[in-house]
Amino acid sequence: MSQSMLGIINATQELDAFQNLTAHRSIAALPFAGRYRLIDFMLSNMVNSGITSVAIFTGHGVRSLMDHLGCGQQWDLDRKRDGLFVFTPDGKSKNEEFGSFTHLAKNITFFLRSRQKYVVITNSNIIGTINFSSVLEHHIKAEANITEIVHHGETLHTYILEKELLLSLFEQYKNQGYYSILDVVNEQLDKIKIERYECKDYIVTINSLESYYKHSMDMLKKEAYYQVFTKDEPVFTKVKDEPPTRYKMGAKVSNSLIANGCMIQGEVENCIISRAVKIGKGAIVRNSIIMQKTQIEDNCVLDGVIIDKDVKIESGVKLTGTRETPYVVEKGTVQKGS
Amino acid sequence: MVQKKCVAMLLAGGQGSRLGALTRYIAKPAVSFGGKYRIIDFPLSNCTNSGIETVGVLTQYQPLVLHSYIGIGAAWDLDRSNGGVTVLPPYAETSGVKWYKGTASAIYENINYLKQYNPEYVLILSGDHIYKMDYSKMLDYHIEKDADVSISVIEVPWDEASRFGIMNTNMNLDIIEFEEKPKTPKSNLASMGIYIFNWSVLRTFLEIDDNNPESSNDFGKDIIPLLLEENKKVVAYPFKGYWKDVGTVKSLWEANMDILKEETELDLYDRDWRIYSVNPNQPPQYISPTAQVEESLVNEGCIVKGTIKHSVLFQGVTVEEGSVIQDSVIMPNARIGKNVVIEKAIIAEGMVVEDHAIIRPEKNKDDVILVAKED
Repeated sequence: MSQSMLGIINATQELDAFQNLTAHRSIAALPFAGRYRLIDFMLSNMVNSGITSVAIFTGHGVRSLMDHLGCGQQWDLDRKRDGLFVFTPDGKSKNEEFGSFTHLAKNITFFLRSRQKYVVITNSNIIGTINFSSVLEHHIKAEANITEIVHHGETLHTYILEKELLLSLFEQYKNQGYYSILDVVNEQLDKIKIERYECKDYIVTINSLESYYKHSMDMLKKEAYYQVFTKDEPVFTKVKDEPPTRYKMGAKVSNSLIANGCMIQGEVENCIISRAVKIGKGAIVRNSIIMQKTQIEDNCVLDGVIIDKDVKIESGVKLTGTRETPYVVEKGTVQKGS
Repeated sequence: MVQKKCVAMLLAGGQGSRLGALTRYIAKPAVSFGGKYRIIDFPLSNCTNSGIETVGVLTQYQPLVLHSYIGIGAAWDLDRSNGGVTVLPPYAETSGVKWYKGTASAIYENINYLKQYNPEYVLILSGDHIYKMDYSKMLDYHIEKDADVSISVIEVPWDEASRFGIMNTNMNLDIIEFEEKPKTPKSNLASMGIYIFNWSVLRTFLEIDDNNPESSNDFGKDIIPLLLEENKKVVAYPFKGYWKDVGTVKSLWEANMDILKEETELDLYDRDWRIYSVNPNQPPQYISPTAQVEESLVNEGCIVKGTIKHSVLFQGVTVEEGSVIQDSVIMPNARIGKNVVIEKAIIAEGMVVEDHAIIRPEKNKDDVILVAKED
């Protein structure tokens, strides 16, 4: 049955609230939980649900995302039959259209050529485990035209419908540029039976700096951790071949998620630490998200900060932010000591 | 096939019987080391980093784990359309199955593999050793010396020399005599089991050896003495750096402890000489508020709630509250219960250590405890 689903991921979201973190990458490529990018979660959900054909519709800034996706080998999507398809906008695309029927229909050939009967449409900024095979089973049993996946009654902008219906919607709304599947669901047309599928497990949408920080910290909670990282449905990501993390003499780590390749000598509490981060002697890092290859030198004191990739925090620097407005340090910068 | 300058033959069929229960179901090259690696990752990564992209891996003893681990060689970038990794197990001929009797016959049985690439040089490696080495430098040396065969050697402490195959050389590092485990060693240059042969010389000598029913078909015991007898130019290539044969439980434990040293010779963090391995796809490690981790290596997927001191934790290990692990190696997916004490031990892959267990050597004993499935 899984053979008959086509996966569509809308990876066009770019929000102003993220400016510092997404100036050089789309939200889909935002690092999460120490070793992943946001898109890994939905992509892995699809693959774990047996979907073998996935199309990603991107916005304009794609360098970071394309570098991450490669030809899809990490998700077993480097296939002769089906596989990974990435559709970048053409020169005429407007940001307002992203995710709309007009946007999807620009690559209508992909839909026409595919042999799958159903389509799953979702966004790249959702974290959590969804088994689309179960959703499809529910969809068929309920004899629905469109099934909307919701969490605590809130829409996840994730839908299952028959490809034929999607194609007819393309036709129907071809003159209404910004019309998307959400509008169809909200209109509640008589002819279209909308079913809702409630996902009870941990699922969140990342759409602001605040939610990014909050949900990153959720990963330190047992319930969320075990629901996102299940044994049977692994989250796949680009492999970096980092060695194990080294905890040196004097390291004091508590309630933190730490990726491989780090060298830790200081104190770390309530943090998400990405791959190959160095934390020096006497440094104290609390309630923070530290991204790849950032170096925090000796005796720094950091609390409530988000530090992007390849940043150098020179020794003795103190930076403080809050839960509501974490202090963000931009990629590749140097924070000079006094 | 496109001709290759140098093809590597990696001998990975060994049992490693002194590793006891660790090698009951896997060959020695598949034994776990260093928090995320298997021993074979080192020679394979060395090949990739040295620019040698054609590698025949000869397997025999318990090959299942090893074969599925190597796969098509993608983890080491050795999935190539021309060359790459080829797994070479023993096979049947009309005359019956020919098991690999010795290291030399293993290569001889796969002479057709080498013929198809018709290389200038053949690099012979062992899948039993942990070291980082640039084989391209050894090849340059071999060419510069105009040698027929080059053998990589390492200086070992004199009092240990009688445990190794010792190369006696002249001033120019030409090998004049080979002695297997000599009682009174004349040199402390030990063979590392790494050879570069001119292909034509290798072919000739393998054929001679194969025709000798008395031969044990071993490079050290048979081929090297024969080469010296025939006055071939056999030179020693001196290697400096970390090299360890992890033949016993104790030496495997020691090698793991070596990488915990502040100034370790085996730098796993060198970005220019990455050690590649198959990715187990586990989430980052979680260190809980009750945990204490110092002087240790911890890999992805671990959940640590206890105290870890001077130890190595492989992927997917869980350590519950109140447990104290010291000077130990915990292999993949082992589960350590509550209030456990583990000292100077190796806990094998997937083992479960129940709450309140105490695992440590008896006082004043220099043992390393191995906890593994015995049947």
